[in-house]
Amino acid sequence: MRVSAHARAPGANRVVVALSVAALLALWGVAAIGVAPNRIVPGTPLKLAEVAGWYGALLGSLPLLALAALAWRPELARLKLALGLALALLMALPAGLALLGALALDPALPQARLGLGPAFWLLLFLLALVLIELRTRLWLGSLAGWGMVAAVALAWGATGWVLSSWLAPLALWQEYRVRSEAFGTAVLYHLLLVGGAVGASLVLGTAIALAMRRSRRLERAGFTLLNLVQTIPSLALFGLLLAPLAWLAANVGWLHALGVRGIGWAPAFLALLGYSLLPMVRNTFVALSGVEAGVLEAARGMGMSRAQVFWQVRLPLALPVVLEGIRITTVQAIGLAAVAALVGAGGLGTFIFQGLGQAAMDLVLLGALPILAMALAADALLGALSRRLSPQENRSHGGAG
Amino acid sequence: MIELFEVTKRFGAETAVDGISLRVESGELCALVGTSGCGKSTTLRMINRLIEHDGGEIHLDGRPVREFDEQALRRRIGYAIQSTGLFPHWTVARNIGLVPRLLKWPATRVRARVEELMALLGLPLEQFADKYPHQLSGGQAQRVGVARALAADPDILLMDEPFGALDPITRESLQAELRDLQARLNKTIVFVTHDMDEALALADRLVVMRAGRIVQQGTPLSLLRDPADDFVASLLGGEDRGLKEAAITPVSERMQPLSPRLLPKARVHQSASLRQALSVMFREQADRLAVVDDEDMAVGELSLRRLVEGRRDE
Repeated sequence: MRVSAHARAPGANRVVVALSVAALLALWGVAAIGVAPNRIVPGTPLKLAEVAGWYGALLGSLPLLALAALAWRPELARLKLALGLALALLMALPAGLALLGALALDPALPQARLGLGPAFWLLLFLLALVLIELRTRLWLGSLAGWGMVAAVALAWGATGWVLSSWLAPLALWQEYRVRSEAFGTAVLYHLLLVGGAVGASLVLGTAIALAMRRSRRLERAGFTLLNLVQTIPSLALFGLLLAPLAWLAANVGWLHALGVRGIGWAPAFLALLGYSLLPMVRNTFVALSGVEAGVLEAARGMGMSRAQVFWQVRLPLALPVVLEGIRITTVQAIGLAAVAALVGAGGLGTFIFQGLGQAAMDLVLLGALPILAMALAADALLGALSRRLSPQENRSHGGAG
Repeated sequence: MIELFEVTKRFGAETAVDGISLRVESGELCALVGTSGCGKSTTLRMINRLIEHDGGEIHLDGRPVREFDEQALRRRIGYAIQSTGLFPHWTVARNIGLVPRLLKWPATRVRARVEELMALLGLPLEQFADKYPHQLSGGQAQRVGVARALAADPDILLMDEPFGALDPITRESLQAELRDLQARLNKTIVFVTHDMDEALALADRLVVMRAGRIVQQGTPLSLLRDPADDFVASLLGGEDRGLKEAAITPVSERMQPLSPRLLPKARVHQSASLRQALSVMFREQADRLAVVDDEDMAVGELSLRRLVEGRRDE
């Protein structure tokens, strides 16, 4: 109560002001870009003022100062303007980067590479926080949130396309360009691995949860086992699976034909499945058990058959929590699948470990950034779906519509 | 008609219901009362086989309930429970139409029946049909629960503390509605409650249970006047029993014809209870009341002496 009353009062929006000041400090204090003559030599970090000169740096600071000034007196119109400004800044970030690159790089060195400095990442992060804060303050719905994400993505894509020659020295781009085909395959493999493990754990997890509901003993044994699996470090689990899978591949013909080996997709898939089962089973179990007893009793008392009670009452009421389980499992599996590269399962983890091996941080980023994006996207999409399906959410929408 | 013969139910070593026999006539409202854990809810649920009985027999219109298909049996018995048990993910209209749909009525007939029931229970169609249960007040939700129980026009209605979760005012108005409804529909109703006033106000037959056995059964009046033991007496209100009896006896039963004497100023409606009449006398410090009709015209009078001693003439 006090917070919202405060926001309406003429006092400054301290959050946005603080974020703007932090962004200014980052812009002046730490390196915006790194410049290296080639891939081998470590790059020289350069601050904004060192690249663009004092006047350029001051010019670049103006929008952030304007943002802080707008938030100083948070009237509705000014906050809307601030939102537009922050969005525009975020959209223009790659263009600014391209400009800095063009200023900093010596055209005589075609091998030169442009790296992303801490100021770039900080600016990205702080501007995103500003947008989140302003979205809350202005009571914008999730649709507006998606709209902003789409606008930024569109702007970045367009910038990359139009300024492709200026952005070409970008180390991240260089790393991508030489492996564009491998990148596509890696993304596909990653998604297949995650999709397969989550899908299989959904089917298997639901079956296990249903069986657990039948018997107390099975419930305790099942959760003990799944908790145990969860505590094994992923590398150790791959190691444990290596020998049995190699033996199976050697002795069972059809498994060999399927491509099961001691290393490769099979141990990765099994390990991911093992880790995915606990959150999946736990959520499904809790969801199915959590349906209000009175509702189920009424359903039975009205003369619904067992199958009707399950499909028409228990499952629909449990679905939001089951979806929550799918969300947690998916996000977890997207991250874990990176480790699977160590046993030769492919996926985006390959780039991360190659990059670590070659001390090429931009190659690590090439693997890590898509994983991050995938995890965020899965989290947002499945979370929105779960909220949409829960009766609680119907309440607030039902009143308005 | 529902008949129970020596019905027994055990949960493990514990005997929840211990050889009870009971006969509920068609069109009768039978209230099962008793302290918690006395077996009244178990008894109710054995009738629609939500709980299977271990011993004895339960007959519905002369036929053992075990001979019915379980689901078919439940679809011909209306069922309403305390928390309403409405499906939170279904609209009001869909909730009410549940049993008719289970019985595979054609869609148009289901819709017509839902409209009819919503009108019957005072739920305007355009206002409530598309609402979800959490958008309803407790009283509205309970009305929907009763409408759902009545949907397939069952002869028998089982109600397990249907008004238990409501505030006193809503509860009383719903009790009055149920009484009107029962006068029109004439269902056979078995009603479980721990609210003694509710049981006295609604029941044709009152069944007092204790530790899985029936201690006493009869009309509310007969139990109030002649409790079998101290337990029944205290359950029915102890020394308040007289007031409870007055509360379920209408003024019209004791009313005297108008005398030539001057009509008293204090008045009471002829449909009021003797308890209310007593309250008016106490408040107005009068020992004689004028009994009036809807138009406020005197139709008789009632003296304190007559109110108190009237039973002697019955």
